Amino acid sequence: MSILIDILLAILGVYLAMQSLLASRLSQSVFLFFAFGLALALAWVRLGAVDVAITEAAIAAGFLGVLFLDALRDFSPRDTEEQQNLTTVQNSLSRKESKSLLLPRLALVLGLGLFLLIALEAVWKIPEGGGLTAAAETLLPESGVEHPVTAVLLNFRAYDTWLEIGVILLGLLAVFAVGGIQIYRKPIAAADDPLMRQVILFFTPVLFLFGAFLLYIGKSGPGGAFQAGVLWGAIGILLHFGGIPVYSWVPRWLGHLLLTLGLVFFLLLGFLFMAAGDNLFEYPPAYAGLLILIVETLAAISIAAALTAIFANLNQMKKEQPNDTAQK
Amino acid sequence: MTELPISPYPALLVGLPILMATLSLFFRTRGEALVGLIGALLTTGLAIMAFVEVVQRGAVIHILGGWEPPLGILLRMDPLAAVFIGMTALVGVFISLYAWRYFRALETTTGGLPLFWPLWLFLWAGLNGLFLSNDLFNLFVTIEVIGICAVALAVLSGKSTALSAGLRYLLAAITGSMAYLFGVALIYGSTGTLDLGLLGQVLEPGTTTTFALLVITLGLMIKMAGFPFHFWLPPAHSSALAPVSALLSALVVKGAFYILLRLWMEVFGVSLTYAAGQFIGIAGAIAVIWGSWQAFMQTSLKLIVAHSSVAQLGYLLMVFPLLILAPGVTADSADWLSSAWTAGIYQVISHAFAKASFFLSAGIIIMALGHDRIESLRDLVGHMRITAMAIGIAGVSLIGLPPSGGFMAKWMLLKGIFLSGQWWWAPVVLAGSLLTAGYVFMLLRLAFAPAREKEPFRPVPKSLEVFALLLALGSFLIVFPADSLIQFLESSEVFGTGVESILKGGVHGNN
Repeated sequence: MSILIDILLAILGVYLAMQSLLASRLSQSVFLFFAFGLALALAWVRLGAVDVAITEAAIAAGFLGVLFLDALRDFSPRDTEEQQNLTTVQNSLSRKESKSLLLPRLALVLGLGLFLLIALEAVWKIPEGGGLTAAAETLLPESGVEHPVTAVLLNFRAYDTWLEIGVILLGLLAVFAVGGIQIYRKPIAAADDPLMRQVILFFTPVLFLFGAFLLYIGKSGPGGAFQAGVLWGAIGILLHFGGIPVYSWVPRWLGHLLLTLGLVFFLLLGFLFMAAGDNLFEYPPAYAGLLILIVETLAAISIAAALTAIFANLNQMKKEQPNDTAQK
Repeated sequence: MTELPISPYPALLVGLPILMATLSLFFRTRGEALVGLIGALLTTGLAIMAFVEVVQRGAVIHILGGWEPPLGILLRMDPLAAVFIGMTALVGVFISLYAWRYFRALETTTGGLPLFWPLWLFLWAGLNGLFLSNDLFNLFVTIEVIGICAVALAVLSGKSTALSAGLRYLLAAITGSMAYLFGVALIYGSTGTLDLGLLGQVLEPGTTTTFALLVITLGLMIKMAGFPFHFWLPPAHSSALAPVSALLSALVVKGAFYILLRLWMEVFGVSLTYAAGQFIGIAGAIAVIWGSWQAFMQTSLKLIVAHSSVAQLGYLLMVFPLLILAPGVTADSADWLSSAWTAGIYQVISHAFAKASFFLSAGIIIMALGHDRIESLRDLVGHMRITAMAIGIAGVSLIGLPPSGGFMAKWMLLKGIFLSGQWWWAPVVLAGSLLTAGYVFMLLRLAFAPAREKEPFRPVPKSLEVFALLLALGSFLIVFPADSLIQFLESSEVFGTGVESILKGGVHGNN
């Protein structure tokens, strides 16, 4: 029975990915991409990687979905007209080019097919039972937490996780680099939408509690800073949607403090123990559990702040662009 | 391996620049630049201290979290890593000083670019982390850090050409990362370890290993703009701001080369064949000819310099066929290995100095003229003597004339080529130098030619010209400590060894 579910999930995943790529409208592509993210999340559950499943659902289907939808809003008015023009152009082009492109396309398909076959064989030949699961389980009692994934992320390989928290901050800096820093500008006018207000009133505490739960449960089960950070980030995005741009309320230094808190505290704690003669990110086993919880909480705050800022920044960037084009 | 002395330097070399980067975020334009510059100077000082430590004590390690591999991650600073970190610091500090003055001069017109400093310090930390890393997955994280910083820096100018080039760069970088990650997953799945030292011992030849080698090499080739994946480099490097172009061309692409070198020499020996070396060598040879020819055909200075990078990176790939021994040849009898290694290392360092200088000079010219079309370089010598000199000196090193670092690299490469009997690479090296001489002398001829009409040269801060010249001189000065540098590198485990390809595979096969 379960093998049937697995096969169905595998087919569904490939089908949704293909449909998302082949869809004739951007909006269709985006919604199929949501569905694809959820199918992937289910696949991760079937593979026993619940942590990855939660992150996949939160980031791929949730955060990326919101970014895509937001981007879509810009395209939609012109979508229909330009799409039609594009299709007619494409049709006339494809008729002309179909003959001359047949051979290269065939070669490409054959080449990719061969590559895929070798890749399948390479994956097939991986011996069973590799990995470091056993090693991680043995040293679990010394890590300060009870969940092996959290132990790997926050203790055994804390260095990688620390750098990845840096990568999220860098994602925001890259958004700044493209569009200039916008988040501290004057707030946008609050949309007076009673429905939206009710949605915010209901979801903010729920999201906050659920995030806090995931953060705490990470000690002993699937969950942790990244998952909690995404949920808390969703609060910021929701408030922004409702015309409450939290970012323009906090002063610049506080905003930057929230953004860098996780990364900097993680590092300074490491330096502190280094000064005492240990290695970087080495925690005394007795305090490891508590220190990891603090590091994770601050990291979740920073991740939430970064995701909110990325969204707010992209959202405002687009609000200002139509004016620019109008002036031209 | 764990008997090596433990040192705090590896951890500090990654931690300090990131700490300073986050600190700089809290300040506004002027203060941010000041904190950034202080961060750059501190990192340089730290890198020099770490280098001295490795000279005195030999390779040092840092066991992150106190967990030893295979579960934990080890940072390892051996002489090879120390040389790359030292090079990054020396080139990086001059680019930083230049950037400090450059953005101050620019500020009067555009309001300054505050994001340069945090991004550059993050990039520096990523590069240090890459050179120190001894773990396949951690290497992936470092190339991710480097990739995002590099793309963000490349689009800082905000011009639409830079944005579209940056998008291409991003797509190429992500494709490269994903290919690399796929290979890492295959290796981890089949061996259960990510530590490079352990992998070198336990990796078995087979379809999985060979395929992992293939996708990892492909990914890294895309990252280092090796032919035929060089398409993203010229637009991205030429449309960036001058200090950024210098960083990208001098340092960032070398990171991918360093991983490729380490993995081929230390990890994938069991799956490498003589043919694989020849194959990557051919890609390098085509890059040398194609890149130099393209550079020769360009009409704007920055595009010449960017295409020249494609060619100079090609020389690095041509080192690989010399390091992979034909069946039946052992490392002891192969007396060209040390020459080939020296050629590779000197090519990396001399290109870093010369190319950084070249791009910084191009930035000065753009600042003075407002554009970089080469016909306006007429009478450059009359207007900006120091910059003309920097271009001349850096150009001579790129061509490979004595007594430059570029000469050392190409001479050692030719020596290795003839000693190994792989004579077919020699014409490529010579033709590459000839074509390079073509575009460098074309620039110099214009620089000395009398001006046809009065070109409006705006005044440029003298210190900018001096920093560019110092970097150019650096590409010559590195020749003098050559003996002690090679001796130092020879204490590195991998230096001077090649891969006894078929032999090793055969032994495994018989077992």
